[in-house]
Amino acid sequence: MTDPTTGEQRTGAVAGPAAPASDDHTDAPPRPPFAHASEAEMARILDFYEVAWEYEPRTFPILWNLAGDVVESFSPDFYLPDLGLYLEMTTLRQRLVRKKNRKLRRLRELYPDLRVKLFYARDFRALMLKYGKLALVDALSGTPGQVMPDREPEPAAGPTPAAPSTRRSVSRRTTPAPASEARR
Amino acid sequence: MSDARDLEADVGEVLLSEDEIQARVTELGRQVSADYAGRQLTLVSVLKGSLPFMADLMRAITVPVRIDLMEVSSYGGAATESSGLVRILKDLSASIQGDDVLIVEDIIDTGLTLNYLLRYLRGKNPASLRICTLLDKPARRLVDIPVDYTGFTIPDQFVVGYGLDYGELYRNLRFVGVLRPEVYAEPA
Repeated sequence: MTDPTTGEQRTGAVAGPAAPASDDHTDAPPRPPFAHASEAEMARILDFYEVAWEYEPRTFPILWNLAGDVVESFSPDFYLPDLGLYLEMTTLRQRLVRKKNRKLRRLRELYPDLRVKLFYARDFRALMLKYGKLALVDALSGTPGQVMPDREPEPAAGPTPAAPSTRRSVSRRTTPAPASEARR
Repeated sequence: MSDARDLEADVGEVLLSEDEIQARVTELGRQVSADYAGRQLTLVSVLKGSLPFMADLMRAITVPVRIDLMEVSSYGGAATESSGLVRILKDLSASIQGDDVLIVEDIIDTGLTLNYLLRYLRGKNPASLRICTLLDKPARRLVDIPVDYTGFTIPDQFVVGYGLDYGELYRNLRFVGVLRPEVYAEPA
């Protein structure tokens, strides 16, 4: 599937929905159809650390033609409402990252109050290294991958907001529970 | 992986020498002691990586200190698969209600773990809650967390030693070094 606004191949197979295992993981809607498995992995990480997220909640117009029609837009992958932060994942090849960097610069010019973090392939790799899941990276990063069968193409442009968000909230559990593995 | 393996040989570059670490920890201890003068402080160390830092820092602090230890699960292991949520493996052994608490961390990168811990510890109603980290890797930050005491701000490299591990090894190195990439290219 090609993102019409960037020409990027939205690739990779989602590793599969991770159904919450505990009852206190409340209000969990079905997983959105992530465009890339790295996004699904990021969603699992955010869930693990109980950081609320929304998937592609807004589309920001960044270029208009003379008639005032939006011809280019940007939809960050995640919004973390508690942190007021948008997160854009890219595990793509450098040529495509440059396009995304350009779009991000434009976004920041037009929406200076927006907090957006671009998560590069190297960031994702470092995260996976930290969590001992480095083997996953090669399967996810910069590969042609597969088209997601249940994902509609992103609109080339649209009002703000244009796309319905997939919201996912997590409970704030404070009860300690036993487990068998420790952090670094 | 052999038991006889020379772990120091796996380190490509020494980022912080033992002397540099000790000098900075002494400085941090002095700073913390001045800020908490006349008060008692509770140091909460986050296992396992912060153990050496905690041991050195507490001895560099001159105000009365209590210590406590916490351990939380990390994403990516067996507990991830079974629960999908961060877990507290070892909780505080005593109440911190009304205490001045200083969290002692080895390294802050994404801030996800610390963000969780801060929420958890705030719920215990300490009088104050501050953060001291030996290493800060701001390039990796996802959650903006105000850090009160920072030993060193380091570049975006995978570091081991002085408590920091890769595959549970390298914690006993007396310095902080950058692991050779070929080491983690192999299965840990």
